[in-house]
Amino acid sequence: MGFLWTGTWILVLVLQSSPVQAFPKPGGSQDKPLHNSELSAERPLNEQIAEAEADKIKKTYPPENNPGESNYSFVDNLNLLKAITEKENIEKERQSIRSSPYDNKLNVEDVDSTKNRRLTDDYDSTKSGLNHKLQDDPDGLHQLDGTPLTAEDIVQKIATRIYEENDRGVFDKIVSKLLNLGLITESQAHTLEDEVAEVLQKLISKEANTYEEEPNKPTSVTESRAGKIPEKVTPMAAIQDGLTNGQNDETVSNTLTLTNGLERRTKIYNEDNFEELQYFPNFYALLKSIDSEKEAKEKETLITIMKTLIDFVKMMVKYGTISPEEGVSYLENLDETIALQTKSKLEKNVTDNKSKLFPAPSEKSHEETDSTKEEAAKMEKEYGTLKDSTKDDNPRGKTDAPKGKTEAYLEAIRKNIEWLKKHNKKGNKEDYDLSKMRDFINQQADVYVEKGILDKEEADAIKRIYSSL
Amino acid sequence: PGAPAAGMRRRRRLQQEDGISFEYHRYPELREALVSVWLQCTAISRIYTVGRSFEGRELLVIELSDNPGVHEPGEPEFKYIGNMHGNEAVGRELLIFLAQYLCNEYQKGNETIVKLIHNTRIHIMPSLNPDGFEKAASQPGELKDWFVGRSNAQGIDLNRNFPDLDRIVYVNEKEGGPNNHLLKNLKKIVDQNTKLAPETKAVIHWIMDIPFVLSANLHGGDLVANYPYDETRSGSAHEYSSCPDDAIFQSLARAYSAFNPPMSDPNRPPCRKNDDDSSFIDGTTNGAAWYSVPGGMQDFNYLSSNCFEITVELSCEKFPPEETLKSYWEDNKNSLISYLEQIHRGVKGFVRDLQGNPIANASISVEGIDHDVTSAKDGDYWRLLVPGNYKLTASAPGYLAITKKVAVPYSPAIGVDFELESFSERKEEEKEELMEWWKMMSETLNF
Repeated sequence: MGFLWTGTWILVLVLQSSPVQAFPKPGGSQDKPLHNSELSAERPLNEQIAEAEADKIKKTYPPENNPGESNYSFVDNLNLLKAITEKENIEKERQSIRSSPYDNKLNVEDVDSTKNRRLTDDYDSTKSGLNHKLQDDPDGLHQLDGTPLTAEDIVQKIATRIYEENDRGVFDKIVSKLLNLGLITESQAHTLEDEVAEVLQKLISKEANTYEEEPNKPTSVTESRAGKIPEKVTPMAAIQDGLTNGQNDETVSNTLTLTNGLERRTKIYNEDNFEELQYFPNFYALLKSIDSEKEAKEKETLITIMKTLIDFVKMMVKYGTISPEEGVSYLENLDETIALQTKSKLEKNVTDNKSKLFPAPSEKSHEETDSTKEEAAKMEKEYGTLKDSTKDDNPRGKTDAPKGKTEAYLEAIRKNIEWLKKHNKKGNKEDYDLSKMRDFINQQADVYVEKGILDKEEADAIKRIYSSL
Repeated sequence: PGAPAAGMRRRRRLQQEDGISFEYHRYPELREALVSVWLQCTAISRIYTVGRSFEGRELLVIELSDNPGVHEPGEPEFKYIGNMHGNEAVGRELLIFLAQYLCNEYQKGNETIVKLIHNTRIHIMPSLNPDGFEKAASQPGELKDWFVGRSNAQGIDLNRNFPDLDRIVYVNEKEGGPNNHLLKNLKKIVDQNTKLAPETKAVIHWIMDIPFVLSANLHGGDLVANYPYDETRSGSAHEYSSCPDDAIFQSLARAYSAFNPPMSDPNRPPCRKNDDDSSFIDGTTNGAAWYSVPGGMQDFNYLSSNCFEITVELSCEKFPPEETLKSYWEDNKNSLISYLEQIHRGVKGFVRDLQGNPIANASISVEGIDHDVTSAKDGDYWRLLVPGNYKLTASAPGYLAITKKVAVPYSPAIGVDFELESFSERKEEEKEELMEWWKMMSETLNF
């Protein structure tokens, strides 16, 4: 637990200083110089070892700034973290940071151990047993070539702790506390989760391979994936060493039994490119509840829908159509909506919770398996939801008027575009010219604002929607 | 029903059908709803405002046509106005629903609607009295009553606020005088008249700016389609006072009521036990026969412009519960469309000179009907008539009038164009004829 806290704190401090951006623009972070060049002190041995370890893990996450990649946000978040830590590089020495956990300043190079200590310091005394292990945590946060390992190592650390603790709930608690305190943003929390899960997966698979002779291990790993009961893990120290030294043997104990969340995560992780889907605990619950064998297609469809939605949101953020906060809110709302729908469906139908868990979206999902257009429609509708919640001039909660308005506008625009496309295909009257329409809309929106028919805000939103098409 | 604002918004998505949400729209929601229609049907719609209410709310209009913002020569202009009494709420909502419905149906390729939108310019003003509506809507449930919110924010009953042209026409009938466009020096009179509410002024300007042909004014408190004249000739309380176009007005009113089952139900009991609905026939009534209304918007349209307007009372209850809105829509949607289609009846065409130039403000008179219409800027005119044989005469100052015979079916409108010869042209012709004759004479007689 202590490690979890520590690790989280580390990440918190790293993230806290970022200009709030869940989805950094592509290429933005590439400009930042490698922070390593500013290292001035020799790093402790264990740090360097940890770094080497992290390096290995890092290979699976080549830094890319290709916006089309599905792990775009993940990688860019890493880059972001790197950039951030770089920024703060100059400011503190490793030892000095221990003072205030909420301290915004960071010394990049020393960030790990100081963060560790800080976390430990503030860590809940009820979990004291594991605290002190972290103090010596030699997480290496740099690599010589300056690639963004800082975050990864932290992530690794956290993953390890989860692994050991077998309780993702603790992580959740920490993260929500941090969120409430405003120390990290939702997206950063999600990113963290995501990365942690991936590392965790690696740990698990590594352990599985390493310990094949141990009867419990591989089976327990697979069984745990199938969703079994968690078991307590071995001492932190061992794990820690194992991580840093590649000697995970003792530590990977028999149970890689994880909680539901982790199991879900690892299970899904085994499928392709689903790391982003880990943003959505409720969605996960839903997916998990779908029996893979019987309804693989439906599951796949759901996953595809979610991924497309996520990509859509990312793209919107990337192009500045929505702000990152809006993107985050949207995704949160989405997951919440899923939770609500799921809950209400479950209440309705206790026995059969498979195909009915996705009531509203599933109507769409039937359509959407057929056409990306309708998927886009759903996305746009959800986007409308997103827009509303971030422009909340009505403190009445998510299902209320402001959300409805932008949703309605988005829906109307979608219908318009659809009709224009269809109409032109049939009639061959005019070429359907999106840029012309966009210009016209921009112009009309301005006129309407002048005449008091539209608010400036609304007009801007409408223009943004059109410019993102 | 009609709960406070928050309650209404919370129920926002309760009843919905194809983008039409059957709930009361306050001013922001009204605006939003119209914007949504515009966003969905950008190619065929446009929102504009004719002015502001006393409290500064825009008097919003959404226009639907295949060329929004433009008067296409020959294309007739139609308007619906609702909620001029703020507490008579059904009309306001029906018009919002109608705008969305027209947009949806157009996109679905509904032939009737597509044709209507291509051949008409439809203007929909859901509320002429948004201030009154807010007041009425703010009343808690059961307290919504017969009066609160009826008038505008100044306490002016807008439907008694228009210049009373009925009195003038009654005088002219006896003593001679124009039978149309009775408000001379209109702009001056309107702008200088301190008794006119801003909403009234805005509508008057609107009527003068756009050559409306047909209109309906939606009210509540009863269930009937009412037509001119609204004011009794003799000044008594009730008296059938027909206008020159009584025949077509009855037809127009029926075209509305016939498609509204409760309105046209001959066995329907009156809205209130002691109501006198003896003047109601087939869901229609002459205004003055029902009760005398001076200064109303309906007659003002007929007597100051070319526009024929009826008044439709949509509901016994002025501000019925929100849950009933959907059924009001069902009862009225066919009527609203049917009435719209009435604009394509009678005779229409262009008045031009011999060179083909349009003659604006030419008079088109119909033998036997003491009410003329005038041609618009492009020389275009529309004359609503019930089926029959007519003689139409087009005339303009400086031009020789021309009369044509026309056989008018129920619909569609028959096209009749006029090419008028100006006096000077005729003089020239005569002169030429004279010269010819002189030449011939002189040759014969050897001058």
